[in-house]
Amino acid sequence: MTRSRFVLFASMALVVVGMAVGLGALWMSPARAAVGPLAGEALILPGDARFVMGFDVKRFTASPFYARFAAEGGMKPEALQQLEEKTGLSPARDIDHLVIAGSPGGRKGAPGLAIAFGRFDLYKLGRTLETDGKATGTSHEGVTVYAFGDGIGRREGHRDGEKQGGLAVAFLDDRTLVFGAEDQVLAAVGSRSRNETPLKSNVALMALVEKVRPGSTFWMVGDQSLLAGLPTSLPAPGASADGTATMTLPALTGLTVTGDLDPQVSLAITGEAKDAIAAKNLADVVRGLVALASLQAQQKPELQQLASAISVATEENRVLVAARIPYEMLEALQPKKPRAAEAPSPKAPSIR
Amino acid sequence: MREVGRPLPFAPAARAVFDLSLDGMVFSRRSLLMALLVAAPVAFAVLYRVLAVTHGTPPLGAADLYALMVAIYWVRNVLPLAALFYATSLIADEVEGRTLTYLLTRPLTRASIFAGKFAAYLATTLTLALPAAVVTFFLLMTAPGAPALAAAATDLLRDVGVMLLALVAYGALFGLMGVLLKRPVIPGLLFLYGWELLANLPGYLPRLTLTAWLRSLIRHRPAEQGLAGLFQQVLPGDQALAVLLAVSLLLLGASAWIFSRREYVLEQ
Repeated sequence: MTRSRFVLFASMALVVVGMAVGLGALWMSPARAAVGPLAGEALILPGDARFVMGFDVKRFTASPFYARFAAEGGMKPEALQQLEEKTGLSPARDIDHLVIAGSPGGRKGAPGLAIAFGRFDLYKLGRTLETDGKATGTSHEGVTVYAFGDGIGRREGHRDGEKQGGLAVAFLDDRTLVFGAEDQVLAAVGSRSRNETPLKSNVALMALVEKVRPGSTFWMVGDQSLLAGLPTSLPAPGASADGTATMTLPALTGLTVTGDLDPQVSLAITGEAKDAIAAKNLADVVRGLVALASLQAQQKPELQQLASAISVATEENRVLVAARIPYEMLEALQPKKPRAAEAPSPKAPSIR
Repeated sequence: MREVGRPLPFAPAARAVFDLSLDGMVFSRRSLLMALLVAAPVAFAVLYRVLAVTHGTPPLGAADLYALMVAIYWVRNVLPLAALFYATSLIADEVEGRTLTYLLTRPLTRASIFAGKFAAYLATTLTLALPAAVVTFFLLMTAPGAPALAAAATDLLRDVGVMLLALVAYGALFGLMGVLLKRPVIPGLLFLYGWELLANLPGYLPRLTLTAWLRSLIRHRPAEQGLAGLFQQVLPGDQALAVLLAVSLLLLGASAWIFSRREYVLEQ
């Protein structure tokens, strides 16, 4: 074998081994998804959901985002916040992944049904929930369902339309729990015992989930019905205050968001429009908004960076928006607190 | 027994030229320079890991850095440059070194000479580029904060495929320039850093560039500034693959045909 052939074979061997390791990791990954990034167990979530979102809670709680903004309201998924409050579970310690399916504004206080994967001490949790009087446990299809507040009492004797109850949590096993409105939790437990996968029947949503790239810290897909509530027009630049001059926004038929939070906030948003022309129009609107942000840069220098952190592209009927936002910029964009609130009172301890 | 005066069949002839050219290409100063250029991301990845340990996680994520390396560094810049410097010299070097006569007087068809040399170019550049991509991928994707290796594994396969396709497509184009022009490097550079910028314009113009088709095949979309950030189009993947393969075959066929018919007058 000549020297050059030896170099060639050694190089190709390295490439083949590398690719084999990559494929092996893919094949042996325990997180191999049933549908896109969605674990098979999460398919018991309701089939009439209008959105599905997933969180890698471990990476979420380890991110600088969580460290900086966890205390602020609205920065944490509502389901995670409620789960923390109701059960005393620590997201950082106990939960690995969280999947939420639901409809925006569908239920007051329960925006969706959540399924959490992690490590749960069933005995300890059950005892804490019942002895604190927080929840009442009942058995449903072999699984203990803990209903908070007056959920159980309200469950009986209600007409179907009113059968909402309070919140409930069911521990399917020591690694999986379902949390949400009580009737939805019961339905999910029933689906599991009957080996049903209602979420899979939502073909439109599943088609979007399949396209989500696994491995993101968070992801979200929403179908046409979720997006029906979005505004259909925007005031045109230079329009008068009466709002007569507007530009019509092309309707979206699907939305996919994936993102990471470390070391900066990275977002990839894919909006599906009716056709390529609609996608192009929508992309132009987004570009216009980015350009407007650039024009504002004289007043707010941080917006200059924001404009260059966002890129917009079109791919057939899809609009792809990629954003990379450093935390410094995110902090600069936060509304400034009033001076009076910022100044500590002489007696107040300083916060470090 | 082969009839004296009849040229060797295409495959053995191309293989013989490949063997002859490979040594000259792999162990050359050009390859040393290209190896440094192509493997620079490995050094960046090592530096990234060191910085992550000594100074905490750098502001750019490991996955984002890998995306930049693939989409901007390799596919947009370094691989086309490597193709330019190797493929334009496939025949030009033989002409300049006045050694083309020795090849042409052997019982080999000119098409087989071109095919053997192109195969040697491809083997050399792949030898330099693919291991660098694989090593960079593993260095960055196993860094703290990077997405799970399993989730990114499909990207590695795709990236390796696109890098191969980039070397074939640009190599075919610059190979044609090499057989057509006496000094092909300047027009090649003008093509890379002039014509290829059309990929950042709106409308149908990006379809006239190779880079727009190539970047449509990779999944990395690093945020870019300027025209690229504003108007970047992602063309349909299946069309991209078909166009790149068709263009490469067409250009290679044209190069072999022109080389077969062209009279080369060697300067004394």
